[in-house]
Amino acid sequence: MPKFALPGLLVAVFIAAPLLSTHSFVHHLLIMVLFSTLLGLSWNLLGGFAGQVSFGHSAFLGVGAYTTLLFYLKLGLSPWLGLVAGGALAMVVAVPIGLICFRLRGPYFSLATLAVAEIIRLVALNWEELTAGPQGLIITHLPALSLFGQTVNWESKLPFYYLIALLALLGMGLTHLVARSRLGAYLLAVREDLESAEAVGIDTVLTRVLALALSAMLVGLAGGFYGLYFRYIDPDAVFSVALSVEMVFIAVVGGIATTAGPIVGAIVLVSISETFRSQFQSGHLIFYGLFMMLVIRYLPDGIWGRVRLALKQVRER
Amino acid sequence: MSLLEVTDLGKNFGGLRAVFGLSFNLKANEILGLIGPNGAGKTTAFNLMAGFIPPSSGEVRLEGRNIVGLKPHSIVKRGIARTFQVVKPFRKLSVLENVTLAAFLHHPRRAEATAEARRILGLLDLTDKAEGAASDLTLAQQKRLEIARCLATRPKILFLDEPMGGLNATEVEAACDLVLRLRSEGIAVILVEHHMRAIMRISDRVLVLHHGVPIADGKPEAVVRDPDVVRAYLGEGKA
Repeated sequence: MPKFALPGLLVAVFIAAPLLSTHSFVHHLLIMVLFSTLLGLSWNLLGGFAGQVSFGHSAFLGVGAYTTLLFYLKLGLSPWLGLVAGGALAMVVAVPIGLICFRLRGPYFSLATLAVAEIIRLVALNWEELTAGPQGLIITHLPALSLFGQTVNWESKLPFYYLIALLALLGMGLTHLVARSRLGAYLLAVREDLESAEAVGIDTVLTRVLALALSAMLVGLAGGFYGLYFRYIDPDAVFSVALSVEMVFIAVVGGIATTAGPIVGAIVLVSISETFRSQFQSGHLIFYGLFMMLVIRYLPDGIWGRVRLALKQVRER
Repeated sequence: MSLLEVTDLGKNFGGLRAVFGLSFNLKANEILGLIGPNGAGKTTAFNLMAGFIPPSSGEVRLEGRNIVGLKPHSIVKRGIARTFQVVKPFRKLSVLENVTLAAFLHHPRRAEATAEARRILGLLDLTDKAEGAASDLTLAQQKRLEIARCLATRPKILFLDEPMGGLNATEVEAACDLVLRLRSEGIAVILVEHHMRAIMRISDRVLVLHHGVPIADGKPEAVVRDPDVVRAYLGEGKA
């Protein structure tokens, strides 16, 4: 298969997908799938490849979301710029957190990420001059912008779809590059055994901080998108533990340490959650939880991980 | 100037004095046997010198520069590589990937690192195992794999922590030959080992630790006749 066939096909599918329907709910679902994909990709870089399980990734999502909205609301800067700044700032915030938390190992690291996210949530809740506290930030209208020479119609879902598609492709591209590079190999070494990794000359703290920074950048971009798409954020929404856990689920259900896993996980989880939500008014989360337990019990490699293993076995036969 | 100069190295774990007053020099191309009864502090001494545990006191100079306080990975970069007493390969990765990870240190590009790893696996007779998982190797092969990983970092000094533990007689012979071959390629070796015949055969010098304190340092034949050493191994009244 030629080298660019698969990415080319992926781009074509991403471009064509929303054109198959004019239903805005379908567009919304597609957006949520790609948004979830980006969350999964982000978590997967750190949790999947480097094996550093974070339960506090919503911290970086929130930083991205607040940055994007504050840049626009307070400084009047373009949301495009705000989005990029959100990703960058999430990265900046992540580095000192990494330097501190990566002194801890295994479950202690995971608990520290939970605590850090909670601290950041409380700061956002109480720093009212900046964040408006529990009231949250709201965008009443988005500015006239042009994208590829066309004026963006914010009332349509399509601009948001293409924006998140672009970000998801960026995330997949980044994951692919990392997986093939020396950094990717080092991440696997760090996941397997920290002492052995040090013994072969790997700076295990720097390696993990790099993974965290890239991961925070992706989820920061996702946060910026979240703010623009929903036009409303408050600390409890964007810094929530539920959101952090959701990211873990997407990556685990799809298949950790794979490039395609997060999109598979996102498709499955968004479909399941929407199906149950429409069938059962209350209590749909019970089924969601049940599904998670089944996956962890019977498909610990995730769905895509399992498929990949099966393909490999077929090829070797 | 010695390649490695250790001065008054010490480590206390709470009230326990694991290593105390350890001083010795290692010359280029030397094989130093580090022996002592169980719990004498041999592995702790390795961990202190390789940066895995910070020492409570003392200095370790590699080519004249103090390396105390450096992280293990930067000590590896400066030329000290170590193996682990209980082997620690990256179990889920292939043998080739294990060594490639170490070769990345001097070859950032994957193709070059892989080529270097294959060359080293060839030296250690592991070529036909390259694609298999590290966890599928025999113990002797896993110990060789750890040495292969060390070699890929281009060490000046190798710390081998019981490379012959658990090996059969033939495998011990092969391991001895390997250590001698490494020395002939210009690598100095410090060897922690309980296998006395191997120690006697390949060491240029032997250092004996007892309760964390060095009690003898000299030619192998002289050291094993030293009354203090005999007492340390066999107990009071036997000397």
